[in-house]
Amino acid sequence: MTQEFSEKLVTLFSLKIGNISGQLEETGREFFCADNKLMDEDEIADLSCEFVNLIVGLLSAKDPNKRTSPQFHALEMFFSGFAQRMLMRGGNVEDVVRYAQQLQYSLITALESDSGIIFTQSRSVLLYFAQLFDELIMAIFRTYLGERERTLKAQEAELRETSTPITEIWDGVLTLPIIGTLDSSRTMLVMEALLNRIAKDHARAVVMDLTGVKNIDSQVSHHLIQMVRAVQLMGADAIITGIHPEIARALVSLNIDLTGITTRASLSDGLKEAFLRMGIQVSHKAV
Amino acid sequence: MSIPGIHLTCIGRGNYLLEPLRSLNIQNSGQIMQDVVALLQQEKARRLYYDLNGLPVIDPAYYDWLDKLARICLTVNIKMICINMQPTAAFTLSSFLAGKPAFATALGVPD
Repeated sequence: MTQEFSEKLVTLFSLKIGNISGQLEETGREFFCADNKLMDEDEIADLSCEFVNLIVGLLSAKDPNKRTSPQFHALEMFFSGFAQRMLMRGGNVEDVVRYAQQLQYSLITALESDSGIIFTQSRSVLLYFAQLFDELIMAIFRTYLGERERTLKAQEAELRETSTPITEIWDGVLTLPIIGTLDSSRTMLVMEALLNRIAKDHARAVVMDLTGVKNIDSQVSHHLIQMVRAVQLMGADAIITGIHPEIARALVSLNIDLTGITTRASLSDGLKEAFLRMGIQVSHKAV
Repeated sequence: MSIPGIHLTCIGRGNYLLEPLRSLNIQNSGQIMQDVVALLQQEKARRLYYDLNGLPVIDPAYYDWLDKLARICLTVNIKMICINMQPTAAFTLSSFLAGKPAFATALGVPD
């Protein structure tokens, strides 16, 4: 697009800004005020006005085609922030993208009707807007993917926390039931959480229950033993319970040294052992 | 008796608390170990509590110092117990520790 044409567009925008943003509001209302009520009328008005201001800013730039200009960055940030807001309010990315596409169409139509110039016959203007909006739609998608990744990470963290609940079952006695498949990264995370908890609670015994673990490989078994050693190094007793025969067989065939590691058949046996070591006696109430 | 880089306190009943200072130079471990053991022997110590509270990481060199100190203590019938080991230190130490260390571990000094 030539500089001359750009200047002409800027003048048009500046003069007719109120009018154009008014026409663009209709598009916003159609997408976000209809059934889903994601935005109210005032927000739509502000949004349209801000958008037109940013477009004017971009076209006034030294080189409106430059994708690294602050004006383009501002426009990109505007769409990115808008997409983020809509997604947080429960909107979907498809609506946001369709809105951006519709905005492009509405913008050209509004300019045509206000200026009397037939833009649809001008290849350079259409191409310019098409390229510009393609970039802005990319910004929307980037925001969407970023949000999605953040959500997935948060869900993953929540799942990790709930799948390895460390509970202080008695003063100074922690239990850690491990359920599901143990992989190296999970074992490391469990170890980190467990060691921090020992330090925080001054736990004297940890009962690690493997009843829910069905498979174990060489690397994980080494991590498990490392976890036990780390617990012992912190000065707490580690008791492993609920080792399935398959796991026991795997540990033996992997030549894992279990010397100095206390194991018990079940979680209840493990707890009894922990209480015994701590001098705690649990008995039935005398009738 | 003053030992460079170490603060040694009698905490009663033959128990001593060793707090390593920032200035502790484990490169000179031979002389330091000798001085520590001499003092503990002189005071008829039975246990040495080594406080690891301010130590976020135990590398092989530091472990070597701890292990040697524990073994030299054992030769004169003094048990060394490392206390207040930080989670990060326990994690790093457990990653390269091959066998059972010469020192015992505890959460802190028993009441």
